[in-house]
Amino acid sequence: MVVESPPGRLARLTVRSVGIGLLATLAGTVLALLTYQLQGAGVAIFILAVTIAAVSGGLWAGVVAAVLASIALPIVEYPDRVLRFDQLRDLIAAVVFLAIAVVVGLVVGYAADERDRAGRREREARLLAFLSAKLLSGDVPDRVLDEFVQVLLEPLGLASCQVSVTLDGQDIEARAVRPGVPRGGPTEVIPVVVSNIPLGTLIAERPEGRRSFTRDERMLLEAATRQAAVALDRARLDARARLAQLDAETNQLRAAMFSSVTHDLRTPLASIKAGVTSLLDVSATHDKGQQQELLTTILEETDRLNRLVGNILDLAKIRAGALIPKRVATAVDEVAEAVVARMRPLLVDFTVELQLAPDLPEVPADPVQLDQVLTNLLENAARHSPRGGTIRIHVGETRGAIRVRVADEGPGIKPEEREKVFEAFYRGRESPESSGSGLGLAIARAIVVAHGGRIRIEETTGGGTAMVVDVPIEETVL
Amino acid sequence: MKVLVVDDEPQIRRALRTSLEAHGYEVATVGTGEEGVVASADQQPDLVLLDLGLPDMDGTEVIRRVRGFSDVPVIILSVREAQSDKVAALDAGADDYVTKPFAMEELLARARAALRRAGPDEPPQPTLRYGGLEIDLARRLVTLDGEQLHVTPTEYALLEALVSNPGKLLTHQWLLRRVWGQGYGTETTYLRTYIRALRKKLGDDASSPALIVTEPGVGYRWVGESA
Repeated sequence: MVVESPPGRLARLTVRSVGIGLLATLAGTVLALLTYQLQGAGVAIFILAVTIAAVSGGLWAGVVAAVLASIALPIVEYPDRVLRFDQLRDLIAAVVFLAIAVVVGLVVGYAADERDRAGRREREARLLAFLSAKLLSGDVPDRVLDEFVQVLLEPLGLASCQVSVTLDGQDIEARAVRPGVPRGGPTEVIPVVVSNIPLGTLIAERPEGRRSFTRDERMLLEAATRQAAVALDRARLDARARLAQLDAETNQLRAAMFSSVTHDLRTPLASIKAGVTSLLDVSATHDKGQQQELLTTILEETDRLNRLVGNILDLAKIRAGALIPKRVATAVDEVAEAVVARMRPLLVDFTVELQLAPDLPEVPADPVQLDQVLTNLLENAARHSPRGGTIRIHVGETRGAIRVRVADEGPGIKPEEREKVFEAFYRGRESPESSGSGLGLAIARAIVVAHGGRIRIEETTGGGTAMVVDVPIEETVL
Repeated sequence: MKVLVVDDEPQIRRALRTSLEAHGYEVATVGTGEEGVVASADQQPDLVLLDLGLPDMDGTEVIRRVRGFSDVPVIILSVREAQSDKVAALDAGADDYVTKPFAMEELLARARAALRRAGPDEPPQPTLRYGGLEIDLARRLVTLDGEQLHVTPTEYALLEALVSNPGKLLTHQWLLRRVWGQGYGTETTYLRTYIRALRKKLGDDASSPALIVTEPGVGYRWVGESA
C-alpha cells in the first residue's frame, strides 16, 4: 500500500510550507534582535524557529526556515558584518539548522503520512463495514444493490457506478449516477465473483478529466465488490431455503388435504348420491315426506360441499400467495351487518346480538375478504354454541384498529389449543366429528394477516370463546 | 315469457331449462357469448341469464354488445371469486347477479323481480307503500306510521333511486352518479353515510333488513315489499 500511496508531506514544496518557514524565521529574527545582548541566545532561538517550522509545516518549511535562519543569524548576531559565512561558527549553525530541519521534517512528514493512511484505512474500513451491514441485512437483492452503488459514489469520487448480475437466471441491475457531474472519466471494471462463479460485473466511472484509480482505490472497490458478491450469494441461498421450506409445507398440506379430501369431500357426495339414486329408483315408493327428507339432505350436503370447496380454493390461494386484498375504503360495521343479515337463516337456533360503536372510521380493506372472515367466525361460533345460545358480535375502535369481537357460549378453547385452531385441518378435541372442515379459521387468519391485522382468542366471562380481530385503520405493509 | 340461458356448461343449461320450463317459462339455451349476443337480437328474449365465465368472450363484453340494441334484463351467474367482474358487469348494464351454486328459488325470485321492472309500465303510482312506510312521489313526502319524516333532498333522491328499482342491485357507482351527479363514482363514504341516515329514519335494521340490503363492496338493493 505504501508504494503507490499519494506522496505525503515529504515532497511537497508548497506556498504554505514556504510561508510557515518564512514566518517562523521572521519571528525568530525579531526575538533574536530583542535579545541580542545575551551571548548565544540567537542560535538557540533560531534552532527553536527551525524546529517549530519543521514540526508545523513539514520538511520544506523546515528547510526554508533553516536557510533563512542561516542568513539571518550572522545579521542578527553581528549587525556590523553583513553576510559573512567564513566564520566556522555560522557554517556549523547553518549545517545544524539544516540537519534539524531535515530530521524533524522527515519525522513529522512520516507521522503525517501515517496519520493520513490510518485515517483513510479507517474510512475504508467504515465504508466496508457499512456495506456489509447493508448487504447482509437480508433485504431483497435489488434494493440492497441500489443502496450499494449509491454508497460507493462519494468516498471513491465516482461519476457513476453500476452493477449488473445474474442470480438464478434472474438479471438484476443497479445503477447510481452523481447528478451534475460530467461522465466519461477513467473507468474500472471489476468482476462480481462468488466461490469462483462469476455473477456479473461492477463498473465504476470517474468524472471526466479526473486521474485514474489508485491501487488503494482499486483494492477498496474490489473489497466492496466481494462483499456485495457474498451478500448476493446469501440472498440466493436464503431464497432457495425459503423455497425448500415452502415445498415442505406444501407437501405437508398436500398430505393433510389428501386425508381430508377422502373424508370431507366423499361424505357429502355419498349422501347426495344415495339420496338421488334412491329418488330415481323406480322400484321404490317414497311418500311425499320421505321425498322431502331425501331432497333436504341432498341440499344440505350440497351446501356443505360448496363451502368446503370454497375453503380449499381459498387455502390454495393463500398458499400460492395469491390472496392479495383489493383494498378500498371499507366500513367494517357495514360488512358485519351484511354478514349477519345474510346468515340469519343459518343462525335461527341462536340469539344474535350485534353491537356497533357509532361513527367508526373506514379501513383500507377488501370487503369480500372481510366478509369471508366474519362469515367464517360466525359459522365457527354457531358450530360450537349450544342451541338457543347467544352469539355476540361487537364492532368498535381500539388504538388504530377496528376491532371485531365474536363471542359464543360454547365450551371454550383450552389455552394450549388456541394457536392450533388457526392451523389448517385442525379440529378441536371437543368436537372431532363436527361438520367443520377445519379450514375456516385458518382462512380467516390468513386474510386478517394479509390486511396487516391480528386475530386471537379470548375467553369470555361465561367460559365461552371470543374471536378478536383487529384490522388496522392505516394501511400497514406486511 | 322467454328466457335465454347463456352458459357453456351443458349440465347447468339442462338444469336451468328443466326448472324454468317447470315454472312456465319458454327457454332457449346457447353455449357461447357470440351466440348469446346473436340470440338476444334474433329471439328477443324477455330475460337473459348470463354466465360470466364464458370461453369465447368476456361476460361484460356480452352485456355491452347486448345493451347496444336491447334493454332486456340481464342476470349474471357467477362464482364467488369473481367479485370485481360482477361489479364490472353490473356497471356495464347487468341488472343483478346470482352466485353459483345458487338455489333455484333465489334465481326465480330475482328473475321475477327483473321481469316485473322491465314489464309494461304500470300506471305511475303516486304513492308507494311498504308496511307503515309511505312515499308520496308526487309531493316528495315520506311518512312512517302516519308521521311525516324529515328527509333531506339528498336522502330523498337516494330513496327515490332505490324504490324506483325494486329488487335490483344498484352499484355504488350507479347510485353516486344518479344521486350526486356524473362526476361522482368513488365517494362510497358519502353513500354509506346517507344510507345509514336513511335506514335510521326509515327504522330499518341493516342486520335484518326489510327495506335496504347491503351487498358489501358492490352496492345496495331495495327489498321493501310493497303493500
